[in-house]
Amino acid sequence: MLEVKEVYFKHKRQTVDVLKGISFVAEKGLLTTILGPNGSGKSTLFKCISGLWRYYKGEVKVDGVSIDKLSFKKRARLFSVVPQEHEPPFPYSVFDVVLMGRASYVGIFSSPGKRDYEKSEEALNTVGIDHLRNIPYTKISGGERQLVLIARAIAQEAPVMLLDEPTSHLDFKNQINILKKIKEIAKTREITVVMTLHDPNLAGLFSDKVIVINSGNKIAEGKAEEIITEDLIKRVYDIDVKKADIDGKNIIYPVL
Amino acid sequence: MKGIKVLIILISPLIVGWISLFLGAYGITPWMVLKILLNETLHIFDLGDIPEKVIVIDIRLPRVILAGIVGACLSGAGVTLQGIFRNPLVDPFILGISAGAAFGCAITIGFLSSVPIQFMAFIFGITAVVIAYTVARAQGEVSRLPLILSGVIVSAFFTALVSIVKFLVDPHKLQSIVYWLMGSFSLADWKAVKISLLGVIFGLLPIFLMRWRLNVISMGEEETKALGVNVSRDRLLFIGFSTLAVAIATSLCGIIGWVGLMVPHLVRMLTGPDHKTLVPLSFAAGASFMILADTLSRTLTSFDIPVGIITALTGAPFFIYLMKRGGKEAWGK
Repeated sequence: MLEVKEVYFKHKRQTVDVLKGISFVAEKGLLTTILGPNGSGKSTLFKCISGLWRYYKGEVKVDGVSIDKLSFKKRARLFSVVPQEHEPPFPYSVFDVVLMGRASYVGIFSSPGKRDYEKSEEALNTVGIDHLRNIPYTKISGGERQLVLIARAIAQEAPVMLLDEPTSHLDFKNQINILKKIKEIAKTREITVVMTLHDPNLAGLFSDKVIVINSGNKIAEGKAEEIITEDLIKRVYDIDVKKADIDGKNIIYPVL
Repeated sequence: MKGIKVLIILISPLIVGWISLFLGAYGITPWMVLKILLNETLHIFDLGDIPEKVIVIDIRLPRVILAGIVGACLSGAGVTLQGIFRNPLVDPFILGISAGAAFGCAITIGFLSSVPIQFMAFIFGITAVVIAYTVARAQGEVSRLPLILSGVIVSAFFTALVSIVKFLVDPHKLQSIVYWLMGSFSLADWKAVKISLLGVIFGLLPIFLMRWRLNVISMGEEETKALGVNVSRDRLLFIGFSTLAVAIATSLCGIIGWVGLMVPHLVRMLTGPDHKTLVPLSFAAGASFMILADTLSRTLTSFDIPVGIITALTGAPFFIYLMKRGGKEAWGK
């Protein structure tokens, strides 16, 4: 379980707060999505939670343990971070990339051991990309890369997984596949999953809980069908939408 | 297939070294070389005092071993720097470490003969790379082209300082500075070999032990932190160890460029980018490459051509080839 309490953040030498006291709770085994327009503070919030940036007020706890003063190594055992898919400078094999998830378990003057290889194998199988293991990471598609990064996060064995816009560079089919996979992994491995998304409909379809933020404030928190309303979208994104109920699913679409 | 390639690269320094021992102005048969080596190590049969023995044991063998160790140091530093800076186009020479170390050596030869030359080489080598890195580091990550440019600038600066030293020292010392700067193993002896072992123990050995981390660090700063690695500390350690290896190499045989750029690339093409194998294989291939280059430099003509000239003649075209091949991708961002 991840608890974020009254987190405030501002950039160095600036007076304006980017995060103005954000609080929320993300439960184990469930998918929590942070939704918000560009520049709302989503990415900043992510960097604060994962410890890359220091918030100046507030607290972040994992299973009751405060993460404020933890080393990188200890923090990596609590949080795994799935970045947006990217191109590394060298064409490492898929397996080598997944193995990197074990970095926090490998001593500074040593290399991964038997257990690290086993955990990486297991992560590859969990995500279902065992067939890609020897292919260079630079030669696979964007959707496959995202799966590799998810496998790496699984190998890291942290109770909380953070995903930064996991669908942003993917086509429609891959967006759906990735989100299905993430949901399944959260449930079967009992991981607390927190991710950011751009699309309110995808957020609504896949998340157990949605947190809407705008200009550094939390606007709403709860089940998607309850909080994502025509009025909320108008307030946050400043566009007119209609909400429709199709087969029990809530879909919003723009008024053209 | 990969296993065979790995094995060949690992034992290549022994084979190239053995070939190098029987080539030279004084012809010695390959069999005689083996006999002399066995005689020295196992004392199986007594050869008596033959001239071949002196040539092999006291002249060629230390030179071959020194060339091997220096090659391993330069190539090991190259692969390490390429990894931590996520930049396949850098090496100790391009980042200014060699020029910095050379300046440290030059002022020691010129003015401070009481100070250990390796110490000064290390101090100025690390100063050079830290300046190059700081200048290139605008915000967060260092992108590729600025790092190379700042390396060129730092190199030029320290080369100018070396010129000032050359201008000021007495002509007798000037000659030795100039010859040594061109990069050569012609003065190799067993004492130099012993000093070079410091580079192996305090430079290459820790790099070897930490090598898997290069995979992680090469993924970028934020990602490395999120994976649980203290990237600032580890990067500093890697810079320190590789600068130490380069400083010791430079203090023994002058500036030899491009080895650290070429060798890791060739190994990567043959056996892949995983630093677990890439690092030890770069040591071995660097050793073979340097022994080969030095053998050429002393056998091609009746003179002993400085080996730095040979590596530069192969290295510069290789750099251009990499740029052409990689195109926009190689320059990144």
